[in-house]
Amino acid sequence: MSTASMRNAPDRLRYARWERAVPVYGFPVVNRFFLVLVAMTLLAFLLTAYRELAGLGPVSGMNDAYGWGIWKTFNVMVLTALGSGAFAVGIAAWVFRRKRLHALMRMALLTSFLAYACGLLLLGIDAGRPWNFYWIVFPWKWNMHSPLAEVAICMSIYAMIPLAVENIPPVLERLWYFDSRLRPGVERFERGLHKFFPWIIAAAYLLPGMHQSSLGALMLLAGARVHPLWQTPWLPLLYLGAATFMSFGCVAGTTMLCCLVWKRAMDMEVLDEAARITAWLIFGWLALRLLDIVFRGVLGTAFHLDRFAGVFWLEMLLVLIGGWMLRSSLRTHETRTMFLGYILSSLGGMIYRFSPTTLAFRPNPESLYFPSAIEVLVSLGFICMGIAGFLLVVKRFGILPAPLQEWHDMASYFRFRRPYIRWTGYFKHGYYGENEPEVTDSD
Amino acid sequence: MAITRRELFTTIAKAGVPAAVALTVGSKALQAEEIPIPGAAVGLLYDASICIGCKACVAACAEANDTPPDTRGDSLHQAPSDLNDLTRNIIKLYKPEDGSAFSFVKRQCMHCLDPACAAGCPFQALHKDPETGIVSWTADKCIGCRYCTITCPYHIPRFQWQGYNPRVTKCELCSHRLEKGLKPGCTSVCPTGAVIFGPRTVLLSEAHERIKNNPGRYYQSRVYGEIDNGGTQSLYLSRVAFEKLGLPELGPESVPARTLRWQRRLYQYFALPALLYAGLVQVIRKSLAGHEQEAHERERETGLRAQL
Repeated sequence: MSTASMRNAPDRLRYARWERAVPVYGFPVVNRFFLVLVAMTLLAFLLTAYRELAGLGPVSGMNDAYGWGIWKTFNVMVLTALGSGAFAVGIAAWVFRRKRLHALMRMALLTSFLAYACGLLLLGIDAGRPWNFYWIVFPWKWNMHSPLAEVAICMSIYAMIPLAVENIPPVLERLWYFDSRLRPGVERFERGLHKFFPWIIAAAYLLPGMHQSSLGALMLLAGARVHPLWQTPWLPLLYLGAATFMSFGCVAGTTMLCCLVWKRAMDMEVLDEAARITAWLIFGWLALRLLDIVFRGVLGTAFHLDRFAGVFWLEMLLVLIGGWMLRSSLRTHETRTMFLGYILSSLGGMIYRFSPTTLAFRPNPESLYFPSAIEVLVSLGFICMGIAGFLLVVKRFGILPAPLQEWHDMASYFRFRRPYIRWTGYFKHGYYGENEPEVTDSD
Repeated sequence: MAITRRELFTTIAKAGVPAAVALTVGSKALQAEEIPIPGAAVGLLYDASICIGCKACVAACAEANDTPPDTRGDSLHQAPSDLNDLTRNIIKLYKPEDGSAFSFVKRQCMHCLDPACAAGCPFQALHKDPETGIVSWTADKCIGCRYCTITCPYHIPRFQWQGYNPRVTKCELCSHRLEKGLKPGCTSVCPTGAVIFGPRTVLLSEAHERIKNNPGRYYQSRVYGEIDNGGTQSLYLSRVAFEKLGLPELGPESVPARTLRWQRRLYQYFALPALLYAGLVQVIRKSLAGHEQEAHERERETGLRAQL
């Protein structure tokens, strides 16, 4: 379904309130696209095994001048920025209390978890001596002032504890509906979980704030080898800022795409709110970036005829046009403009996060880096793993927001198609729980 | 009246804000950092103007460190074109096109007083010895992240790209030979005395002596490494500009001190992050209560289980 047909869609599809996260029912998990993703993932695993035996040289284009390849600079630096939704959308929803954004939270948490998990796995493969990672459990062996230690430790803790715990509620919900006999246990577990939630959620905002900025601080130590348009003491803040608007783009953009693909109604109130916040973040970030460049007196280098100026203007224009499209979509309520705005601004942000390590990195002596085929295949394979995981989870758990009606539609769909299904205590007890047995838990 | 939990937290916060700010702002990291010079700092003094480029030191270095000869160039001669995973020490030639003065240069680890590689190394695999100041690499702690190859302003540490058990190669000033009372391999064979080994203070006075005795011979009449990059333990004298020899002008402040100052301040004693965390918990506690209440109201309205 294209945006054009969405414009002609009945009002039920165009204007709706997202009130409930509903699984994408009625679509098989395993289809041709999914099989391609799985095949790519398996291929990446095979190549990874080869990399572990042969070393990094034979499988990648990395060399003495460019010690870091796309596994670190793209899969970790860029994709975890896209996966900061749990951080940026979460702060807007929980700290600044933009209540409508709670509708997007489950999407944000899932995309973040997948982006971080895939990035961290690849980080382990990129490391030359990964068996020494066990030092991570001895805090007194950490180099506390190293940005890389901060990133490695903070990222792993974040993905394994706060982010994973925040993703438990959809799983519990699935269990709750799966079999009514599980309910007392699930509810007991939930009550326990909720006691820790403020602490978990607060950690889920502190930790990414720390490591997303430290990702920028990584390149501070590289000094003059990073082109002056990028090398600035404000690099940590700019990296963090780019992560915020990119992750809004990733969460809202992915949700819009899912709505398009699986014919779900869009809640323009939520999407407008997200677009408004994203636009402000974008313009704030652009202003900070430009002011920094002007005050450091390196604006002149942006007008040299070289690849650095080209990359600089490309990323600035992409982000600017993206932000402008988001602003204008708020007036016209054109989902197409909004979606494109998210795509362009995130693309600009991605190039920005990629530049200091690769495009704007000037090793001395001058040398070239271009990822090898194996490197690209492994990188793609780990991205495919994330996408496959996303498709699987979205179709089996309540992640994607939908109007209330969607839930009832799902119920009747399953009552008709799967009369034997057991995860439907819901059907047993009717739409409004009118037949719910009045038994109180005896625990 | 007993103190409520809320009061407890607000009191802690009220006391914590000034305390954390004071810790962050008033901490030592804020003031200009004094880089301590190790008591028994040893180093090399390389005088490019008397080096004849015989490369005896390159072969001696490989022998002293028990590295196989790097014959990957023409599978016959040990003639690497740059430092690499088998080469800790190399002689390079700077020869400008216009026929002006040429110079050899010996490249090996500078053993900075404040090394950027060690500042970035996550688990202290690269470590500066507090006594001798030698920067050495420990295999057991290295995760192979190659951050040292990014951070070193002299581009010295090299990663082994082949094999399942890669190592980082850099000059460690032949510390295994120093223990036996021997000099580093390169200094023990140099026929002209272009590279000499000794305590840093002795080498510095020797260098100044040479500058004084040969006015106008040396570039800027100064020793590279006396103050550059916060000071290094490998010192250089040269006739041609240091930049041409791959020794960038980094200023008197070390790279980590200059670039990580704010990073270090923000994380000093973990005070600011801890404070931020306490504040976030308070805010989220309140949001969560409101959110749960709304969700349960909605649950009663729709009859569907609340989704948090």
